[in-house]
Amino acid sequence: MSLQDALALIFLLAGCAFYLAGTVGLLRFPDVFCRLHALTKADNVGLGLVCVGLAILNGQPRVASMLLLIWLVGLLAATVSAHLIARHAHEREAPQDQELPRR
Amino acid sequence: MMSLLLDGLIVVALVGLAIQAITGQSLFRGIINFIVFGLTMALAWARIGAPDLAMAEAAIGAGLTGALMMVAYRRLVADEDGHVPTPPRQKSRLAIPIAVGSGLLVGVIGLGALLSDNPPGEAGQLVLETLPEYGLGNAITGVLLLFRGLDTLLEIAVLFTALLAARAVAGTGDSSATARTRHPETPLIGALLAVVIPLTILVAVHLLRAGTYETGGAFQAGAVLAAAGVLLVLSGRVSRTPSAGPLVRLGVLAGLSAFILVGLAPLLYGEALLTLPGMWSIYLIETAMMVSIAVTLILLFADAGGLRRERRG
Repeated sequence: MSLQDALALIFLLAGCAFYLAGTVGLLRFPDVFCRLHALTKADNVGLGLVCVGLAILNGQPRVASMLLLIWLVGLLAATVSAHLIARHAHEREAPQDQELPRR
Repeated sequence: MMSLLLDGLIVVALVGLAIQAITGQSLFRGIINFIVFGLTMALAWARIGAPDLAMAEAAIGAGLTGALMMVAYRRLVADEDGHVPTPPRQKSRLAIPIAVGSGLLVGVIGLGALLSDNPPGEAGQLVLETLPEYGLGNAITGVLLLFRGLDTLLEIAVLFTALLAARAVAGTGDSSATARTRHPETPLIGALLAVVIPLTILVAVHLLRAGTYETGGAFQAGAVLAAAGVLLVLSGRVSRTPSAGPLVRLGVLAGLSAFILVGLAPLLYGEALLTLPGMWSIYLIETAMMVSIAVTLILLFADAGGLRRERRG
């Protein structure tokens, strides 16, 4: 295993760890805002780390720039949708447990 | 080993999501499961080496159909005065026979495919041999336009018929019950649209151009373009009108009419119907089809006869 592969593996595993943490948070946290807080970690850092890992694995600048674009668009979509969901929940003034299905 | 594990995971996820989607306790969960099912299906297509199908499945099967179901759900909730509808508890008597029959059918087809150790694939071979003459690199576009031109033409006609049928049964209810938010909008929406709409158009045009030599084509490009339109409708930038203006009419009819005209033209020179005269005709038909597919899907989504740009102060 070359240094390149090892570095990529580290980034990919770190990204997966963030996704896992975000998913656990989404399932376990009590209300909408906490759940969004958990999700943003997965969306932003997790996706970024996975993209960095894949870029290292591939090694071509062209692919790396496309992965960067994917990450930026993902960031934008995640930010706006999280904001809209939070706003809706805030306006309903009911971020209570009974609004959400419990697991 | 690793790839077998991944394939197994996808199969298990597909079956699990399908069961969840139809037996879930709430309609909303069913819809979400259906969307995730579509995305997983796209993964499965990509795994078996069919990126064209994967893209179409993700854009139409998961994206647009999912959005359509969400809108239907919203309207259902509005009709029931905010009471969330629950699916009926009792199952149809036909459910089990249909499930068993479908399972048998899929099993027999799969068994047949497995037993024929070397599928002849003559049509595919023929296409691959002929493609260089036309300068096409994508076998799927080749089959769709050169070998199955009539099928593709009829597909566009079916889409047009679907729109007519939807318009015929569309209620004359008040058009204010659209999928619009009633809150004052945040500046973030404008920022999102300013980035996403140009990017979507870029991707659609790329897919259209790429369709001649690699993954892509009019259907995928049209679906991507339709997604941009859906975003514009949802954010209130484009509003619905009861009847179509000239531009929307042109958009709906462009694909069908371009295909028919280019397809009929060879008859004048005594050649066979739908003999495409060259690359320019393929680009022309594909572009017109992309526009028509996009406009038709947006109209179906918005349940509207026409679209109008909303002037904002």
